[in-house]
Amino acid sequence: MDAKHTYAFYLGCIAPNRYPGVEAAAIKTSKKLGIDLVPLKGASCCPAPGAFGSIDLNVFYAMAARNLVLAEQMKTDIALVCNGCYKSIWEVNHKLKHNDDLRDGVNEVLKEVDMEYKGTINVYHLAELLYDPMIAGVEKIRESVTNPLTGTRIAVHYGCHLIKPKKDREFAHQEMLNTEGPTWMEEMVAALGAEPVEYRYKMLCCGAGGGVRGYDIVHSLDITNEKLLNLKDVGIDALTDICPFCQLQFDRGQIEIQEKFGAVYNLPVLHYSELLGLAQGMSPQELALDLHGISCEPFLQKVL
Amino acid sequence: MAKAKGYPEALETKLRDRALHADDSNPQFTKTVEEISRTIPHMCFQCGTCTSSCPSAPRSSYRIRKFVRRVVLGLENEALTDPDLWLCTTCYSCTDRCPRDIAPTDTIMAMRNLAFKRDIIPINFLKTVQAIYKSGHGVPNNDVNRAARVKLGLTADPPTTHMYPEYIKGIQKIIDHYKLKENADRIIKEAEG
Ligand code: SF4
Ligand code: SF4
Repeated sequence: MDAKHTYAFYLGCIAPNRYPGVEAAAIKTSKKLGIDLVPLKGASCCPAPGAFGSIDLNVFYAMAARNLVLAEQMKTDIALVCNGCYKSIWEVNHKLKHNDDLRDGVNEVLKEVDMEYKGTINVYHLAELLYDPMIAGVEKIRESVTNPLTGTRIAVHYGCHLIKPKKDREFAHQEMLNTEGPTWMEEMVAALGAEPVEYRYKMLCCGAGGGVRGYDIVHSLDITNEKLLNLKDVGIDALTDICPFCQLQFDRGQIEIQEKFGAVYNLPVLHYSELLGLAQGMSPQELALDLHGISCEPFLQKVL
Repeated sequence: MAKAKGYPEALETKLRDRALHADDSNPQFTKTVEEISRTIPHMCFQCGTCTSSCPSAPRSSYRIRKFVRRVVLGLENEALTDPDLWLCTTCYSCTDRCPRDIAPTDTIMAMRNLAFKRDIIPINFLKTVQAIYKSGHGVPNNDVNRAARVKLGLTADPPTTHMYPEYIKGIQKIIDHYKLKENADRIIKEAEG
């Protein structure tokens, strides 16, 4: 199918530099659904909302604005695959569009690098575009599946920064404004042929954000461990996410949890783009699943 | 005429109560936090919905409700020097649920900004600044990942500042405008010697 919708693909840091399979899968699977992701040359870290936002919000706004201007210069909306990036790129775009004082402040700094923020583009999370029937939609996802993930039980970790705080968010679909018990991701999991599984305290954070992972790793992992315990209770084959930072926390985090708390889960953790890739017939090699901290083998044996 | 029981001495005592007024209270602190955070902590009625929604509360002494109260009372020193200030994961659950439409998370971010002005900042935050100043990325590429990217048919370095390092200059100018790198280097040096 010809791609009809074109977006500048804002990569962030963790997807391209730790889970490159997410980047490869996002490009390839989107194309099959009519979404063309083109490179956003010269983009930087979003910047990390926990670290930069905590230090000085003005620098945070200016750095995110620089990334936004790169897309404005291409006259192309942004699509991205990370909740943390969404928090920076979407939210700063939103703030600068609605607050003249912030925009003027940012533009004063951007002038030094010959840039001007104009507020001419929009920012989307790829998951939001995949779910939107005007762009792709659950039906189209279902039709694109050549290798259904039948017989697997998959739970969803939504993460925080795509949908919260809901009072600021402006999604086209009402379902996405439900922050207490959303099920739109479960619909997308079911479209792949897998069985979506609910679990206790689903909306709990992964524990990594706000700089806490770096500040107090044990505190941070203890939150992750609570999620893993609740997931273990319902017996699943994999956890899926839409944020490479959450993915890092659940995937590499399991190794740290084993070292620090002695708990072993061996739960495969896959970004939705990776899952979609498998369901559309991409091989584990094409997704670099061997880079995951926790082996995806037991899950792969069920689906390949 | 008999005095009404417990009045006005009781009121006097109440007004001296440190829970309502403290000598080191700084009303400007309340205002500054409201300006930076663009939210309205003075509307807080201490219901505790925020703390009961908080993933950090059950595993530490961090209490978001207490921090919001400190903002309202202008307890600047108490707020900015409390190590719990850095235990917020910014999950925004409190912000989602606050019945007074306050964004407690954003008050925390504002207080962290103010703490940084006093050089109070965890080192890991500053290391991220150094990494981005150097490469544009908080989490930079490495050789194992480069090899994996090539196998996937991707470029060894992503088409970001990694592939186009000429963009790093602009990033450094922005960071330098706020003297952020300079301060990060200095604080790390003082902390690590
Ligand atoms: S939920 Fe809102 S009103 Fe209630 S204590 Fe927290 S900040 Fe105050
Ligand atoms: S945003 Fe911070 S304070 Fe609010 S509930 Fe989450 S961790 Fe707690």
